[in-house]
Amino acid sequence: MSYFAGIAAVYWKDVLLEFRTRQSLSTMFTFCLTIVIIFNFVFEPGSPAVLEVSPGVLWAAFTFSGLLGISRSFSFEIDRGGLQGLLLCPVERSTIYFGKVLGNATFMLLIEAVTFPIFVVFYNLPPNMNLLGLVLVFVLGTLGFVAVGTLLSAISANTKAREVLLPVLLFPVAVPVLVATVKSTGPLLRGEDLAQVASWVKLLLAFDLLFLAASSLTFEFIVEE
Amino acid sequence: MQKNVRLSPADWILWGLTSVAIAVALYAAFLYAPTERTMGDIQRIFYFHVASAWIGFLAFFVVFVASIAYLATKAIKWDILAASSAEIGVVFSTLVLLTGPLWARPVWNTYWTWDPRLTSFLILWLIYIAYLMLRAYAGEEEKSARFAAVFGIIGFLDVPIVYASIRLWRTLHPKPVIAGGGSSGLAPQMLTSLFIALGAFLVLYIALLRLRIRLEKVNRAVRQLHLEINR
Amino acid sequence: MSHLGFLFTAYLLIWIALAIYMLSIFRRQSRLEAELQSLQNLLQERRGPEQA
Repeated sequence: MSYFAGIAAVYWKDVLLEFRTRQSLSTMFTFCLTIVIIFNFVFEPGSPAVLEVSPGVLWAAFTFSGLLGISRSFSFEIDRGGLQGLLLCPVERSTIYFGKVLGNATFMLLIEAVTFPIFVVFYNLPPNMNLLGLVLVFVLGTLGFVAVGTLLSAISANTKAREVLLPVLLFPVAVPVLVATVKSTGPLLRGEDLAQVASWVKLLLAFDLLFLAASSLTFEFIVEE
Repeated sequence: MQKNVRLSPADWILWGLTSVAIAVALYAAFLYAPTERTMGDIQRIFYFHVASAWIGFLAFFVVFVASIAYLATKAIKWDILAASSAEIGVVFSTLVLLTGPLWARPVWNTYWTWDPRLTSFLILWLIYIAYLMLRAYAGEEEKSARFAAVFGIIGFLDVPIVYASIRLWRTLHPKPVIAGGGSSGLAPQMLTSLFIALGAFLVLYIALLRLRIRLEKVNRAVRQLHLEINR
Repeated sequence: MSHLGFLFTAYLLIWIALAIYMLSIFRRQSRLEAELQSLQNLLQERRGPEQA
């Protein structure tokens, strides 16, 4: 099996499993929506501060709910002995990592795609936003968060503390992603040009590339027996 | 492995050296260095504050290098070094976070400001707190070593990006919190005093590292015996 | 323009924190060495007779 076929196989396994059971996606979506609604109580409805804080609310909702999916992606394999099976496959270890990254990114982006329109309605955002730019930032930001998250989830799932440990490990490391996405989502929501946030996009790209590379190199040390 | 808590002769020499170095550094910071013109005597925090920060960075860099060495060789000594250096690094960076606000309050009129250096240092501190927690919860020794090594590498690679992102954030939204820059060139005696403080803390770091490594070795010997007994 | 109180507190904190850390190392060291000793004794006794 070629390298990319290996990645695709892991990816399809996860996606198929998820679409059959919908366990992660349904909890992720419900949680995401709950966060959006809860944050609504923090602000005076209709106050001009809403536009100012909405990027932060949006990314808090995305990353917290994304965390649910990411933390499950290895723990359920370990519980059912699935990881042993995957490790027996005659493919490079990093294919498992990339397959999982793509799977987690798919799930998070799905949640984002569904939550965002609801968010726009709830928070009464003006319609003149830069949608294409937002898509780019959402994809890059999600990829970066998931790149580190998937690696650290493989670590935390193998410890005694499990799910409790993952947010403590992940969020400090993911700070650049959070800052960059929040700070570039703001101007894009106001309909500003992508050039306005070019430096943030570059930062996201650098983060994504660095951590996809570093994680794929170190991943084999986490799952080795 | 040894039975008593006594220090070896080498350790005694090292601690003697540390005491002398710190005494000299205190003399340099309080008497040799001139009083800063705008900030006054409070600026004397600077010498040990900055020295703590640099030694903190050094300690985390040692964690990074030891982590790579561990993954490459699987020799336990690298894991012991990484675990010990990380804890001492957290101690030194805690010193930075303790003294920083006490300097900021009289000079900037606020204990805390979200300036790039302060903010990224706080994140750095959080990353290594997480590192110590990972070590505490990872379970088996060999597994814990591998996981900590991976996190030690990832965490250190993250530091420059964190700094870049926070700096970008603050330059895009400048807020006039800090009145007047204090870094208008250091007097030569100040620079000398800084390097003396740095040297003193470097010796202290090495002395602490030796103690911590010794502790880590006993710790592992105890865990090993527990395993043997429960078998 | 002196703020000597802050300066004093800062240096005090540095030495207190370092002293606490060193004390914690020594305490852990002596506790672990005592534990090591008792474990070794236990293991010695057990060589031969069955588990307690």
